[in-house]
Amino acid sequence: MTALLRRGPELRLLVWVAALAVTGSVAVAAAETTTFDRAQLAVPVAYVALVLLLHVFLVARGVRGDQLLLPTAAALAAIGLVLVQRLQPEDRPLLLQQLTWMVIAAGAFVATILIPRDVTALSRFKWTWALLGVLLLVSPLLPVIGREINGARIWIGLGPFSFEPWEAVKIIMVIFFAAYLEEYREVIARPRRFGPLPVPPLPYLLPILAMWAFAMAVVVFEKDLGAALLFLGIFLAMLYLATGEAFYTLLGVVLLVAGGVVLYQTLPHVQVRIDTWLRPFSEDLRFGPGFQIVQGLFALANGGLLGVGLGNGLPDRIPIVWSDFVFDAFTEEVGFAGAVALLALFLLFVYRGMLIAVRAPTPFLQLLAAGLSFIVAFQTLVIVGGNARLIPLTGVTLPFVAYGGSSLVTNWMLVALLIRVSDVTARVRGSP
Amino acid sequence: MELPFGVLLWGIRVAFLLLIYLFLIRAFGVLHGALAGERDPSRSLGVLVVERSPSRTPRAGERITLRATNAIGRDSGNDIPLPDEAASARHAVLELRDGEWWIEDLGSTNGTLVNGVRIAKPERVRAGDQLGIGRVTMRLERV
Repeated sequence: MTALLRRGPELRLLVWVAALAVTGSVAVAAAETTTFDRAQLAVPVAYVALVLLLHVFLVARGVRGDQLLLPTAAALAAIGLVLVQRLQPEDRPLLLQQLTWMVIAAGAFVATILIPRDVTALSRFKWTWALLGVLLLVSPLLPVIGREINGARIWIGLGPFSFEPWEAVKIIMVIFFAAYLEEYREVIARPRRFGPLPVPPLPYLLPILAMWAFAMAVVVFEKDLGAALLFLGIFLAMLYLATGEAFYTLLGVVLLVAGGVVLYQTLPHVQVRIDTWLRPFSEDLRFGPGFQIVQGLFALANGGLLGVGLGNGLPDRIPIVWSDFVFDAFTEEVGFAGAVALLALFLLFVYRGMLIAVRAPTPFLQLLAAGLSFIVAFQTLVIVGGNARLIPLTGVTLPFVAYGGSSLVTNWMLVALLIRVSDVTARVRGSP
Repeated sequence: MELPFGVLLWGIRVAFLLLIYLFLIRAFGVLHGALAGERDPSRSLGVLVVERSPSRTPRAGERITLRATNAIGRDSGNDIPLPDEAASARHAVLELRDGEWWIEDLGSTNGTLVNGVRIAKPERVRAGDQLGIGRVTMRLERV
């Protein structure tokens, strides 16, 4: 009996997630019709059963790691399902698709807990990871499988399915960076200085330049600003963690700004992005490229403190709201109070991830956990900032919440990896 | 008397928002409880105090903070390098396994001593035990 309750705090938190999923679904359904159909409960109930299965799996497997990440990710995904139910257009059954993806994501979560048997072994194949990452990143440019959707060439398609390889590349790159930086951390013990500035030793300087060139290539050839920003951001953050040299980060930011200015001058699609960010309401943009952000801003403004109520907003005025603008739609209907709660859930997730990183027993595991937490933090920052017009809008998804299969699957693998790192820590320290 | 539908709907919406906040309060409660349980989340795993050393690195009296796995030997690539001719290049490993410290000799020439006794197989090391590698002796301390 005590063995069954080993992950008690996790189970107790999941009860709240279950209540949240059912209540949200009922609220959306009730706003659309006055008759209540019990079949509408099938989706939230199936989702809750799925999450409980994951909990039972962790208990059965004897995983001793973190108990907060699964409920937090589950709460975010529950809000995501409620929003997809609310935002799905009448001619597209997005909710069922999202639930199907959730099942696949749960499978990926289980697989990541089971393989590899030793999570530290991931660091042994770092050049294989690097190669795999590069291949995945360039795969949308290939003629047969590559697809261009909404102006960004970042999808690969197989029959009716399309997949964003960038989502998987994020995790692969974090594994590679962690392994690479662990190996070369010795070099920093003998820093060379040129006046007051530390001169990055070649093993640091080369990857900084390579990453920068790579990010710029992604913008030019795949027209994906968000991916480039995330890519460079995650790398610079991990570099700073490994070396403690703020100058390297500064160098990266200067390179980013310099590259951004050049790209703005030469590439029309970058120009449009920046222009719609700076002056979305101007005559030539309001009904053209700026239409989406303008409608999003109206939705944000309409929300007020407590929102107009789930189901009462006008989210269908925003094009592609279910994947690009879930934050604005949520804020319109649940208000500032809801937006703060949503961001607090992300804060909880990232804070917990960073604590796992601080306690991890080896530099590789520390860098891995920190990098994975950064993915979630940066992605939230970039898309919420874009939705609120604080930074240029990019096509990054809100982790766990926005509609999108590849994003859901890789984010749940990320959760599994973080749990595994904390499991190693618990075993080494002998805590429960 | 039947509740007006509008009131019910309003109640459900408020409940949805409240549930997110209740979850957050509980979750931060769990987080706080976990943090209060251990006084310092970044506390070190253990410390080796050098008792006797023929050279200046490490000096006698020096405190070496331990990682989960610590390779000890004459090579500079070890986690704890001991530049002592009597130590082998890769001499021994001191490792935390399930909350317990264990030392394993890696086939060194002069052997590894725990409390003055040469070990033949991996041995458990407790706080206060003395380790002898080459001409260096160190004592394990828990912080």
